[in-house]
Amino acid sequence: MPTARKICVAVWGLVSVVSVAGGAMAADAPAPASFSKDVAPILLKKCQACHGSPEPKGGYQVSNYTLVIKAGESESAAITPGKPEDSELFTLISSTDPDSRMPKEGDPLSAEQIAIVKRWISEGAQYDGADPKASLASIVPRTAAPDPPQAYRRAVPITALAFSPDGQELAVNGYHEVTIWNAASGALARRIKNVAERTQSLAYNTDGSLLAVAGGTPGQSGEVKLFNPALGTLVKELGSMGDVAYRAVFNPAGTKLAVAGADRSIRVFDVASGKQEILIEDHADWVVGLAWNPDGTRLASASRDKTSKLFNATNGESLMTYSGQGDQVFGVAFNADGKLIFTAGADKKIHAWNPDDGAKKGEIAGFGRDVFGLVTFQDKIFSCSADKTVQQHRVEGFKPFKTYAGHTDAVYCVAYHPGTGRVAAGSFSGEVRVWNAEDGAAVATFIAAPGYTPPAAPPVAAAK
Amino acid sequence: MSWNSWKRSAQLPACGLVLCLAACLARNLAAAETPAEPIVVGSPSRIEVYPTQAKLDSTRRTMHLIVSGFYADGGVQDLTSVAEVKSKDDHVARADHAVVSPVANGRTEVTVKVGGHELNVPVEVANQESPDKVSFNYGTLAVLSKQGCNSGACHGSPSGKGGFRMSLRAYDSALDIETLVREAFNRRTNLYEPENSLLLRKPLMELAHGGGRRLKKTDPGYEVLRDWIAQGCQVDPAEAPSCVKLEVYPRERILKRPAHTQQLVALAHFSDGSVRDVTQLAVFTSSDESVASVDAGGLVVGQDRGEAAILARYLDKIETSSMMFLKEIPGFVWSSPPENNFVDHFTFQKLQQLQILPSELCTDEEFVRRVYLDVIGILPEPSETAQFLTDSDPQKRAKLIDGLLQRPEYAEFWALKWGDLLRIRNVKVSNGGVHKFNRWLVAAFRDNMPYDQFARQLLTAEGSTFVNPPANYFRTATETNDCTETTSQLFLGIRIQCAKCHNHPFERWSQDNYYGIGAFFNRVQRKPGINPDEQVIWVARGGEVTQPRTGKQMQPWLPLTGSADLKGEDDRRGTFVDWLVRPENPFFPKVEVNRIWGHLLGRGIVEPVDDFRDSNPPSSAALINALADDFAKNGYDRKRVMRTILNSRTYQLSSRKNEFNATDTKYFSHATTRLLAAEQLLDAICRVTLVSEKFAGLPAGTRATQLPSPDVESDFLKVFGQPARETACACERSTDSNLSQALQMINGPLVHAKVRDEKNRLRALVTAGKSNEDIVGELYLAALCRKPSDAETAAATKHIANAGDRFRGLEDVCWALLNANEFLFQH
Repeated sequence: MPTARKICVAVWGLVSVVSVAGGAMAADAPAPASFSKDVAPILLKKCQACHGSPEPKGGYQVSNYTLVIKAGESESAAITPGKPEDSELFTLISSTDPDSRMPKEGDPLSAEQIAIVKRWISEGAQYDGADPKASLASIVPRTAAPDPPQAYRRAVPITALAFSPDGQELAVNGYHEVTIWNAASGALARRIKNVAERTQSLAYNTDGSLLAVAGGTPGQSGEVKLFNPALGTLVKELGSMGDVAYRAVFNPAGTKLAVAGADRSIRVFDVASGKQEILIEDHADWVVGLAWNPDGTRLASASRDKTSKLFNATNGESLMTYSGQGDQVFGVAFNADGKLIFTAGADKKIHAWNPDDGAKKGEIAGFGRDVFGLVTFQDKIFSCSADKTVQQHRVEGFKPFKTYAGHTDAVYCVAYHPGTGRVAAGSFSGEVRVWNAEDGAAVATFIAAPGYTPPAAPPVAAAK
Repeated sequence: MSWNSWKRSAQLPACGLVLCLAACLARNLAAAETPAEPIVVGSPSRIEVYPTQAKLDSTRRTMHLIVSGFYADGGVQDLTSVAEVKSKDDHVARADHAVVSPVANGRTEVTVKVGGHELNVPVEVANQESPDKVSFNYGTLAVLSKQGCNSGACHGSPSGKGGFRMSLRAYDSALDIETLVREAFNRRTNLYEPENSLLLRKPLMELAHGGGRRLKKTDPGYEVLRDWIAQGCQVDPAEAPSCVKLEVYPRERILKRPAHTQQLVALAHFSDGSVRDVTQLAVFTSSDESVASVDAGGLVVGQDRGEAAILARYLDKIETSSMMFLKEIPGFVWSSPPENNFVDHFTFQKLQQLQILPSELCTDEEFVRRVYLDVIGILPEPSETAQFLTDSDPQKRAKLIDGLLQRPEYAEFWALKWGDLLRIRNVKVSNGGVHKFNRWLVAAFRDNMPYDQFARQLLTAEGSTFVNPPANYFRTATETNDCTETTSQLFLGIRIQCAKCHNHPFERWSQDNYYGIGAFFNRVQRKPGINPDEQVIWVARGGEVTQPRTGKQMQPWLPLTGSADLKGEDDRRGTFVDWLVRPENPFFPKVEVNRIWGHLLGRGIVEPVDDFRDSNPPSSAALINALADDFAKNGYDRKRVMRTILNSRTYQLSSRKNEFNATDTKYFSHATTRLLAAEQLLDAICRVTLVSEKFAGLPAGTRATQLPSPDVESDFLKVFGQPARETACACERSTDSNLSQALQMINGPLVHAKVRDEKNRLRALVTAGKSNEDIVGELYLAALCRKPSDAETAAATKHIANAGDRFRGLEDVCWALLNANEFLFQH
């Protein structure tokens, strides 16, 4: 896909090496083997599973160039520039002895892959990037994500949706794409491609000029991209992560984007420059929920480590930890004056706690299963749950107000648009439902999978 | 020579303890697997194929045919892998390596040819119009179990692994479907591109996986998981048939070299009458890897002669196949040893079959020491030994056995063993309770209380624990679950603890069973008595047990019998005991005869002695059945069981091995040497030195084997494995050797003080004017129940003469004897 390389010019932030257009390579004399373009992709694909973690097998880690050339526990040189046969990396991938051949637990490298590694070492094992300690994932050539299905043969679970600031459109996750729908009619408006396999979070900035798309490939990579939602063009790519990004939220002013993910981190990017300004590594497990306080000075998080935390949004300092949920926390939101934080979790409850002292101020029970998400506006709390419901509670007294029925499977995400007074929620079954909050009437119901024709019988039986 | 230099020069015997420890560690090294040798078909007189017909009524069904050859000499061999298997109509069914798979609806036959024989197996193929769906319960979860994903060490542990938790061995499918599909925002399955699912990529090691590579794309399970995801991660319809039975074929086989491999087939029978080949989905394990290994596809390969149970587990269903591997051992000639009673009959039958030659009869010296220690826990006095050794009556061993069973020490020693199991301790039953409960136990053994009465008195006890000591059973078991677990382990030999929280991972016991047994005991109540420390056990008139996972109220349930209908009875325990003590109850008599056997021979016929399960078969089923049968039919007379065992030649075999039984550890072809139990050892030291041990709060002269509870402070006893009586498990008494034990014997204050004591045996002998030679002889008789050899006498007397101080020299000899393996070990 030659056109795909065009996106390279748009790579920003942490991405330090940008591949040039492929057509530049001369056909006659082979160009020197490139670490970033030729070797690193092989290491990522074939070696990283065992040699990627900080406690790698055999003490040999391939996370960046500096580590790749460093010997493992065997203390034999991993790489001897110019001498592949004296390089443990080469001798092990090319070994014919099944007991010593690498990858130990996977299929062997192809002859072409072995040859290019050999050539790179023979040519001096040079690094062709800027920072030899930059992660392999960040230096390999950016390739556009695979195209989405033209017409879906099956629905995909809805994990993210967002109203455009004017409330007229609804952005919804697809498979390798984001789809934009008319919020009132449920008609497909546009499709935005060049998106990772999964999209877990969607957010518009205040004026609607940018749509942040956070997601990735489970267990493999995470990404956050900024698109022009009207044109569907990629504006910026903000960094890359080792696992899925679960949440991206703009600050109220729209100048910063906070991102949280399965790599346990929280990052704050400057939207204009694309620069990562803050990295918070304070959670012990995935961070799946994130919210700014109304004046944009604080960030609250929700994590699978069973805590919610509060951070100073300007320096990343940890201010408070709330452990009261006692189970995984999925969703987090501030109330209108920022004096309460609501968290939703696997304890089938929404907790309200005081950001100043971490004290629990109340709770909302009555959910049948995990509460996956929540959004607040003034006196309203909207939540969605694996119990198939979308509910509305009042902040005052934490009392139930309304239930939005109709979903037939676990509801992963919920959004509210104050201007139009509409509530939207998406479920595992692939269905998106839009209601009028005022009277609870259904506005639109659609399967967010372009071209998909549901079979006569429901495609996915609900769990008993 | 100084005390210290003697310690150095006498290090060899004491090192035995350390060496034994090393040997224990070494034993864990698995036997190297020998690959299967080529099968020589020979000339079978006939062949058989199982199953005899196949119905493939889904696109997902296959059938593995097992081909057996029967030979003129009575032998049998698995010919599955060498038989030529062909379908008569490839348009209906295909045959590939004895596995038949469907092609299109219709009927045909599969022809099996081998060894000059030919058989036809009718095959019916149906429902091939559209691809069948993978069953979540019987496909997906079976694969996750087979690959080990939901094992206790991985994602089946209570907290899961890496944030991914499944129910242990798939006991809770409702939880698992949520976890696999909806949890973590559908992260683990990719409905659109199934191959990209984390559920597949992690175990394939395409992505980092803490558990390493657990799946290959060529594994049958890969296709099952992928197809299940591709089909939409659906759960089974409510009306889908359920698995009602697992069958493993063959159920038993005796294979004689060169025959040494056996393909097994696992067939799941469903409620709609269908039979599915689940060989590729079942998990196979061997009870003894040194005898037989089994691979993931159910191919058993014999490694050595002996027996092994091959356990096939398919979800919650478990079946076993009993495999015996025989081999011609060059030079083996059966010695036809005399059979004293049925114990020898069954033991020798098996030994002859396995070509293991029993050791010779032990000497009188070995016998007298062995039988004293085993029956009454203490060493004989030199005079008793001498009297036995000089007795010329051919029946003297039987006479000695009868005599020992009548001695008070017998009752005290066996009360100690049961005190362990009943957890008699101050903290559990109070100091007063300890003595009363112990006295009740001693009386029960002294009077040879029939074992059924013994169990009934314990299990139905009520009233004050001081007035009715057996009521302490319900004082130590402080709540219903404890009663369930203790009773199951003690009287049924079932370790049912696992089933408290989930269906037992390795056995047939379910969570329902656990709480069903609990329903017999949950009405037992406890309240303080009039006296301090007294407790009163009483039975409430109502109360039911609720199964915590399902929330269902449980009917009282009896193994192999089912739910018991007990309307109108307040105290259900009597019904339980009525069932328990019925002579046909397969559990009750076996556990006790096995426990007695284990005490006397150092290893149970089922080992551990209280762990009866399909995957832990007895080393001789015929023997344990015969003993249990004799026990149940003769009034549950424990002394009768002991007399039978003790009078057998099997019990009286020497511990010296021959070339044909050197590797045997479980068929009782020779006596098992083992370290004396803590209390036995302490009493033996006291007996040799004639210096008794003082226990705080107990009368002077109390022996360690008389202790009512381990509440006395004794480092020596603890180091040598005296249990704290925390559990009802016989395993709590440690039989491991350790360095502390060696240090206690070589350097410890207890041994030192007794060897140096002014009133000890050697000093009394000196005072009595005995010569060094006589004293050495007397010490040998006291410690080892034999006279020293001339060389030993010469070495010892020479050492004493060279010691300078006669007492020091004698002490050194005494110390050396106490540190000799021959003293430390039962043999």
